[in-house]
Amino acid sequence: MSVLARRSRPGALAVLAACAAVGLVSGCASSSSPQPSASASASELNDHAGGPYQGVGLIPPQPRPQFTLTDTAGKAFNFGTQTAGKPTLLYFGYTNCPDVCPTTMADIANALSMVPAGIRARTEVIFVTTDVKHDTGPVLKRYLAKFDVALPNKFIGLYGTQNQIDTAQVAAHVTLAEGDGQNHSAQVLLYGTDDYARVSFLQSTNETTQIAHDLPMVG
Amino acid sequence: MTRPPLTFFLAAVAILVGMAGLVRGSLPQSVPSTASSSTAGADPIVVGGAYVREPANDVNAAAYFTVYNTTGTPDELVSVSTGAGAEASLHSYTSDGAMTAMSGLTIPANGSVALSPGKGHVMIEKLYGPLKPGQTVNLQLSFAKAGEVLVTAPVIAIAAPAPTAEGPK
Repeated sequence: MSVLARRSRPGALAVLAACAAVGLVSGCASSSSPQPSASASASELNDHAGGPYQGVGLIPPQPRPQFTLTDTAGKAFNFGTQTAGKPTLLYFGYTNCPDVCPTTMADIANALSMVPAGIRARTEVIFVTTDVKHDTGPVLKRYLAKFDVALPNKFIGLYGTQNQIDTAQVAAHVTLAEGDGQNHSAQVLLYGTDDYARVSFLQSTNETTQIAHDLPMVG
Repeated sequence: MTRPPLTFFLAAVAILVGMAGLVRGSLPQSVPSTASSSTAGADPIVVGGAYVREPANDVNAAAYFTVYNTTGTPDELVSVSTGAGAEASLHSYTSDGAMTAMSGLTIPANGSVALSPGKGHVMIEKLYGPLKPGQTVNLQLSFAKAGEVLVTAPVIAIAAPAPTAEGPK
């Protein structure tokens, strides 16, 4: 199982680096290159499949995972059954993360504000903490309220024991977090109504538009 | 299935980083005039696009900016202090994605380095109080050659877009 988790990582990081490099040069390169726009070239680099998505294509598609954690109300939350059939964005992070996590959650919130209202209302956003020592239900609830305040469907925060969190990460095929959860996967997985993830997203200046583009395609 | 992209992307990164190096050379000439809110135009080090995103927690925040070195010799950002928290440290990411403290950040001659989400930031810890949009955060950057550079970074809303490195229009 750790093989699966590890295998996904180098590719993902290379893509992240490529996105960053594209971001660096796109403003200058566009004048001399035939690329029609920065987002088009980012899409080409990101999309393994050459398919329709602007995010990172997942081949083969990953089935919606089954794992059970605890939600911010203290109730058991079965991810596989309670999100089944709904477009779902799944992210692993921690609340004391200063950089990638809040930027990613803001990107998700901004993308949701851009998609049609029907999709906005039925999309589930799940934040699973990788910091089992610090992130309790109340801490997660307060954190997520900073991002979902203007959205009709509130984000769901999940926590659990280290074993449960590890199991969830393995089930979702993301790299296992290390260092009290601070070194964690940057992937946002998007599961569609068919309960498969065919695309994921990584932190970049294009993440909001990528999610806003791809979410209606699976929702 | 997932393997071919790795080599492709590494090659792409190498090419793009090389291109970025070429492109950087043309930046400092045009930027000092537009980034004058941070420092005077004739300064060897110019900092643009500085911002702090309103934190979602109570303990830390990240500051981002782009440093332009207008001189013909490399300089190094060796430390940062701030009025917003008791500690400020330079962070970047290792090749395997782990956040790590940097002892210094080299700014190439006639070049620039951008700190941005996922690439690097100044982590402000032990916040003295909440940071809200509309406030500003003072950052004192210490360079090995250029000395102290004071930067005023606006706090932007949690979901606001990052300002461009050219500074506010």
